[in-house]
This record gives sequence, structure tokens and C-alpha cells, in this order.
Amino acid sequence: MKLSAHYTKTSVYISLSVLFIGAIIYYFAINFIADSQLDRGLQQQLTEAEEYLRTGQAPQQYDLDRDHAVFTQTMQQTLKKRFFDTVYFNPKTQKAESGRAVEELCTFNNVHYIVRITISREGTKYLIEVITIITLALLAILVFTLFLTNRYLLDGLWKPFYGTLREIKEFNIADVPRFSGQPSKVEEFNELNSAINEMSLRVKDDYLSLKEFTENASHEMMTPLAVVTTKLDTLIQDETLGPEQLSQITDIYASINKSTRLNQALILLAKLENKVITDVEVIVLESAIESKAMQFQELLQAKNLSLSQQLTHKTFEASKYLIDILLNNFFSNAIRHNYEGGTIEVMLSEKELCFKNTGTPDDLAQQHIFERFKKGKESQGMGLGLTLVKNICQLYRLGISYSHVNGMHIFTVKFPH
Amino acid sequence: MKVLVIEDEQGLRENITSYLNVDGNICESSASLDGAIEKLSLYQYDCVLLDIGLPDGDGFAVLDYLKNESKSEAVLIISARNSLDDKLKGLNIGADDYLTKPFHLAELKARLMAVYRRKVLNSNNKLLFNEISIDIMGRTFFVNDTPVILTRKEYDIMLYFISNKGRIISKSAIAEHLWGDEMDMYDSYDFIYTHIKNLRKKLLDAGCADYLKSIYGMGYKFSA
Repeated sequence: MKLSAHYTKTSVYISLSVLFIGAIIYYFAINFIADSQLDRGLQQQLTEAEEYLRTGQAPQQYDLDRDHAVFTQTMQQTLKKRFFDTVYFNPKTQKAESGRAVEELCTFNNVHYIVRITISREGTKYLIEVITIITLALLAILVFTLFLTNRYLLDGLWKPFYGTLREIKEFNIADVPRFSGQPSKVEEFNELNSAINEMSLRVKDDYLSLKEFTENASHEMMTPLAVVTTKLDTLIQDETLGPEQLSQITDIYASINKSTRLNQALILLAKLENKVITDVEVIVLESAIESKAMQFQELLQAKNLSLSQQLTHKTFEASKYLIDILLNNFFSNAIRHNYEGGTIEVMLSEKELCFKNTGTPDDLAQQHIFERFKKGKESQGMGLGLTLVKNICQLYRLGISYSHVNGMHIFTVKFPH
Repeated sequence: MKVLVIEDEQGLRENITSYLNVDGNICESSASLDGAIEKLSLYQYDCVLLDIGLPDGDGFAVLDYLKNESKSEAVLIISARNSLDDKLKGLNIGADDYLTKPFHLAELKARLMAVYRRKVLNSNNKLLFNEISIDIMGRTFFVNDTPVILTRKEYDIMLYFISNKGRIISKSAIAEHLWGDEMDMYDSYDFIYTHIKNLRKKLLDAGCADYLKSIYGMGYKFSA
């Protein structure tokens, strides 16, 4: 529910309940005031009736100003004076009407009489009706006004907020335009905008410095490696070198290679963890897998591995570079950790991508395989491949899991729904 | 081919120029952006080897300069920055290829030759080496004017060897050339051996002299 709807609901509930309670109090107050007014009138009538008796006339029914005084002979010795609501027959309107009455005991010639004087309450009833109608009308107008103001006024008031929200949603760290926010008359929104603006600038700053750092780090680490590689390339041209020296040079080449790869992987990991890679395109996964399989063809043949693929059409939005690394790692792991004549199965469906391969009979340490620098005893890799895989999966909200079933090592990537 | 090497790292610059300064290539170098632009304004080059990270500025300025002056030098960027942004930016503003450090000199030479052929010679040339001729445009290979069918990889190796003729090329350089730097499989070079064996057999069968020499423990050399 939107904030304005919440607000409307609350304010309508509160005003309705306040008005309802108010109406009840109002009703009783008016009734009480009217009753005491009537009672005062009745008291006056009663005094008049007593005076009338004192003049020595026999008690009889009489009608004084539409008030009905009834004398009833009684054996009762005492009667407490009481005022009460009653219904009486109004001979003028020929209808039973509600009225207010007073009763008291009077004595005439040693005979006790109950005198009961009733007056109509129609006036009060009418008053209450009018007041009720006015109150109801006020209530309706109030609720209607609340609705209107909340709907149009409040929505307008919250407009800058929704604008800001939209901008935050669309905020992309790699984009050049800075966060601007919608100017508003509301102080809080302006504060919010400036806070977000400050935050976005800080984030952008961090992003740029990190980007610069990874690139500088890359530069500083790769340049010496480049010098060594090219020096070796020049050195091996010397044909007087013996097999001993050449074999050492080969080892140096291999170490440089490993070091280069390690650098690249670490820098890539840093970039992934800080979400610096933002390029996105639509990738047709089945054709990416097929071309990757082609690329690894020689390696498959060299180990006499059979590759079976079961691919359905699936597109995914991601960085082409990262998907390439992902597939590279899956394929090279499946080949590297396989035995002569083993099998590799690749399955791609709408929901998941699955790599199965034969290999060592033992289950890999499930909880550790995605950690940095964890690798099998015989692995020639550097133990970052699966960490890269995991981080790439995390970046794109893909679920990654490993299982070992019937001697097959299975890596499953689940696509988000 | 006349090449200008713009690279601030002295060791690297010297290695590159000495490696390129054979086969009648003329190779000059500059360690700074200003010096490079001065040289480019005074002389005409076929190719420019450009390091992006220079001490006195961004190497991209050279590309801008070449573009503004409507010069047609082929440009190969060499950079330690592996960032995709830089790659795309460089290629978008006029570079012809992008090579990431560290690289093998053989790879650099092959890429430079490819860029040169594509841009300066317009690919319409035939590459000749004694009885071997290669039609770059049609990607066809001839020995004594008789076509020889090579696989894609064999063709690539052949072009790589001819670009680096007379040089010993390490197996790791060949592996990197054929499978790119994405492939993390250097622990086994057997498949290179297979390719070379097949290639040599095809060449010998076609009546070609044996130019491929195996250097024990190191790699191969292609020379007359």
C-alpha cells in the first residue's frame, strides 16, 4: 500500500471514530440538557397543581397548556417525587407520543392522590433529529474532503519523493551523469536529495579510485613481466645455449605464465567483488557453449574425451567477457580433472546449466571448492578458477552448486526466474 | 616496414626494437608522448606501436593526433591495462589492434605484420617465402603454386612462423598465439606437437623443403 493510502486510511479511521464518540457524547449531553429543562417546567407545573389544590378545588383532570395533569387516588402513604420518560396519548394529534413526566403524592381532604404531569418531548426529539442530520452531513463532508486532499494534495506532495526513488533505481555507477534529485518545497525531501547526492558522489569516487587502482596495479605488475618475457624471447635466439639452459628458460616461461594468470585472476576478482564490470549484452548461451567446445576441441581429442551436449535455446544478459571466463573455467576444469577416455556432459535448459564430468572417484570437499586458493592435490591450476566462477554467479544472481553423483562431478548453475 | 615504438619502459623498448630491426625493418622509438608526436609530425611511418600508459600523458592522445592530421599509420596498442573499456575505447578511436602485456615478441611481430598487411598493403598481397606463397585475402596456401589444404590452426601457425622467420619461437608463445590468453591449459603442449607434426607432413608431401626445425626443449624455428 502506498504511503498516501496509508495516510488516508488512518486519517479517515481517526476522524470517523472521533466523530462517532463525539456524537454519542453530544447525544447524551443534549438529552441531559433538554431533560433538565423539561424537568424545570414540570416542577413549575407541579407547584401550580399544588397551589391549585390548596385553593380548595377537588382534584380533577385538567389540561393546562397542552400539559396533562392526572390525579389518581391512592392508598399509598408516601411517594418519592420522581421524573421519568414515558409515552402518553396526545388527544390533539391522536397519537401516542413520548413525553417527560413527574409524579408526586398530594393530599386533599385527607385523601392521597398521585399527581402525574406529562409534557411532550416532541420538541426535543426534533432538535436531536436536526442535530443528527447536521452531524452526519458534516461527517460526510469531512470524509470526502479528507479523501480529496489526501488523494490530490498529498500525492502532489510526495511526487518529488517518487522522482528521487526512480532516480535511485536507475542509478548506474558507471554512467557519467550525476544524481540530481527533484527540487521540492518540502525540507525533508531536499535533505534526502542532498544526502543521496553526497552518497552517490562518494560511491562514484570510490568506484573511480578502485578502477584506477586495479588498472594501475595491473600496469605495475604486468610491465616487469612483459620485460622478462621479451628478454627471454631475445635470449632464446642464442643458438649456443645448451639443453640445460633452455630447460631452465622453459621453466621461467611457465612461471611467468602462472604469475600473469594469477595477477589477471586477482584483479578480475577485485573488479567482480566491487562490481566494476558493468558492460551487459544479450548472450545466446547455446552458441557460446558450442563455440567454446570448438575452442577446446584439441584438448578433448588429446585426452580422448567424449563430449555430449544437450542444449536448448537460452539467452542471458551479462558481460560477454565474464560469461566467456565462466565457460572457460567449466570446460577447462572438466578436461583437466578428467581421465583418459572419460566423458563430459553439458546440459542447458531454460532453468539451469549443468556440467558433468568423470574424474577422480572422490567427492571434492564441497564447502571449500569455491574458496580462494583451494585446489586438489594434483591440480596444476592456481585455485582461483572456481572462486571466479562463484563470484561471476553471485554478480548475476545465479545459483551455483556442486555435487558428486555416480562418479560424476556435477556443477549446476541455476538461472534466476 | 617503418615502425615507431612508443614505450616508456626502457628494457621493453630495447627488446622490441632489436627484435623488429631485422628483415630490413626500420624501427625508431620514443619514450614519451611529446617525443612521439614530434616524430610523427616529422616522419612518415607504416606502423605505430603504442603504449597507453605514458609518463607525460595518455597514449590515446597519439590516436587523436593521427586522426586530426588524417594520417594513415596502422596503430597497435600495447598496454598492461587489461580493462575492456580501454580495449573498446582504443579500437573505437582508431587503433587497429590491442595487445595486452605481457606478450611474446613473436606475437607482437605477427600482430604487427597482420595490421600492416591489412591497413597498408590492403590485404591484396601474396606472402612469399621461397616455394611457399600465401594468399592473405583468400586464406589459401600454395607450395610451388599448388594449393595445399591446411586446417585453420595450421594456417595460423604457418602465418605465425613466416612472420617470425629465422627466430626461435617458444612453445608457450605458440600456445598463446593459437588459443589466446584465455586458455588456462599450458601444462600440456602435446597438442602443439600434433599440429606441427601434421603441418610438417603436409608441407613435405607437397614437395616443400623442410624449413621447420625443432629446438630441443624449447620450441621451433622456421628458416631457410
